[in-house]
Amino acid sequence: MTAPIALSCGEPAGIGPEIAAAAWRTLKGSLPFFWIGDPRHLPAGTPLQIIEAPAQALDVSRTALPVLALPFAAPATPGQPDPANAQGVIDAIARGVALVQSGAASAICTAPIHKKALKDGADFAYPGHTEYLAALAGVERVVMMLACDALRVVPVTIHIPLAEVPQALTAALLTDTILITHAALRRDFGLAAPRLAVAGLNPHAGEGGAMGHEEIEMIIPVLDALRAEGMDIAGPMSADTMFHAGARARYDAAICMYHDQALIPIKTLDFAGGVNVTLGLPFIRTSPDHGTAFDIAGRGIADPSSLIAALKMADVMARARAAQ
Amino acid sequence: MTDPKPRLILTLGDPAGIGSELVARLLADPEARDMAHVLILGDEAELQDGMAIAGAEFPYRRVTDPAALGQTPDLPLFMAKGRAAPKGGWARAEATAAGGQHCLDTLGYGLDMVARGQADALVFAPLNKASLHAAGMTHSDELHWFADRLGHNGTVSEINVMEGLWTSRVTSHVALRDVADLITGDKIIEAARLIHAALREAGHENPRIGVCGLNPHNGDNGNFGTEEIEIIGPAVERARAMGLPVEGPYPSDTIFLKAVAKELDAIVTLYHDQGQIAIKLLGFWQGVTVQGGLPVPITTPAHGTAFDIRGQGKAHVGPMRAAWTIASTMGRRARSFKSS
Repeated sequence: MTAPIALSCGEPAGIGPEIAAAAWRTLKGSLPFFWIGDPRHLPAGTPLQIIEAPAQALDVSRTALPVLALPFAAPATPGQPDPANAQGVIDAIARGVALVQSGAASAICTAPIHKKALKDGADFAYPGHTEYLAALAGVERVVMMLACDALRVVPVTIHIPLAEVPQALTAALLTDTILITHAALRRDFGLAAPRLAVAGLNPHAGEGGAMGHEEIEMIIPVLDALRAEGMDIAGPMSADTMFHAGARARYDAAICMYHDQALIPIKTLDFAGGVNVTLGLPFIRTSPDHGTAFDIAGRGIADPSSLIAALKMADVMARARAAQ
Repeated sequence: MTDPKPRLILTLGDPAGIGSELVARLLADPEARDMAHVLILGDEAELQDGMAIAGAEFPYRRVTDPAALGQTPDLPLFMAKGRAAPKGGWARAEATAAGGQHCLDTLGYGLDMVARGQADALVFAPLNKASLHAAGMTHSDELHWFADRLGHNGTVSEINVMEGLWTSRVTSHVALRDVADLITGDKIIEAARLIHAALREAGHENPRIGVCGLNPHNGDNGNFGTEEIEIIGPAVERARAMGLPVEGPYPSDTIFLKAVAKELDAIVTLYHDQGQIAIKLLGFWQGVTVQGGLPVPITTPAHGTAFDIRGQGKAHVGPMRAAWTIASTMGRRARSFKSS
């Protein structure tokens, strides 16, 4: 039996608490997880039970949402983040990381945060969740993977202007991204010999240099070097023809050169079910692929399916890791 | 009372590819034949070969005078045109200058007929750019060759049509590093105007056109790029002020879901893969290219010559059939304008 999954509350003024309660209703009895946060922030009437230690969640989660209580400074008003609660949001993440690092939790799943609220309220110095987790874990480079049942994609560059992508793409960055992805597919996805497909940067993967030289000058040499080490890597492939069902069957993950090259196919395939997985941390971390949704918070209409998918993904990964 | 059926010119595409198989399969369907009068231009042995490969035949009449197309023919017409096959026959599954020259000859003849009003639209089976270039075509693609031959100086752009969704792109076959510099407000407006005109020609009276953002999350209010704020947003506003039904910019990772939900009929994309990834994911076999901005309707399947499956009779006719249907609609409209 693997340990339960830790779910950090995220921004309490967003949809995090209500989708956590909704996810428990769907997953109770099948996937044990516990929620780290202030019980006052959960929707009224949520069947919850305060636990003292994560292990209790295995039993408790059959009948109530197990809550590892972390008192925040203030109640939450849906749609209006309170700077007073910023430190609580950060502490919930840190608590979850400590528990997963000690082995008391098998993985951490994080509900969405609101970066500006954390910066205003607690001088949060990180651009996002992922960077904070990397700092807590003491690693320098992590990789973002987005996964749904039909596809796994890894953007090599992420939140930068499109115009800056070519300069940001370096052989070292591409190499590290592939190595981290490859290792994670082996360790956390149970794939003994992962098959990777790498997209080109330019239309038709540059068509032999006719439309851009990054493939010839950087991508192909990197892939050749990694193949020489025995990796199963296809590419650079023309990005427009690598995502249909027949092509997807030939690889386990697609390495993409920029954000939308990865996000267009996965959102087009599965808008609601996409899960964000951080690779390269010493522990397993997943999160739903949406934000705090202040505009609908507190109205009981938020869709929990991405969070449910994220918890399920964390569970599958934890089992794969435990089986080794 | 004029005959309402459009008069189409159809060419067989690069003889090294799957064009003749597709034409055989297309016109073996009586429903497709019923949509339009057609004059096929090319090499008759090639057409026969396509029928044999596809295992699909259709009746046709051989003519030597193209004017027969205007005389309400009861069968598809065929006229021998273009450079003859080399000794030993056409090369198969490879790009050759001879194949390219044959394509340019037939396309040029057909295009001139449409330009003179002897036909209403042109449909062509897949070409091979390497063949065309080997035959001496100096233009980047056939679209610009068509424009040059027609003496047309206006903006032209490929428009893709996939299961009712129309897309065009502001930049096309250029390196990704050049994309941002090539995006201008005028080009976005021109792309919107052009796709709007093509949609109207194809019978969409009130199309809704969405424009993509350039950067992740539409630039996240300027955090990951400013083109949305400085160029794209203002261009959308200007286009709306001109009366074009344009909206956006929308983040490009979810704009196609709006089209799937039928909230948009057309999408203006800013670079090649921004549109092509979703288009091919959503309807890999249904894509049609409309040669947008030209004074005459021209369509073709969006896929290539498929050398890898040439001659096996398994080429999917869906895109060819869709190209035929759209050309028929555009041709009918063009013809009704001419006769009115």
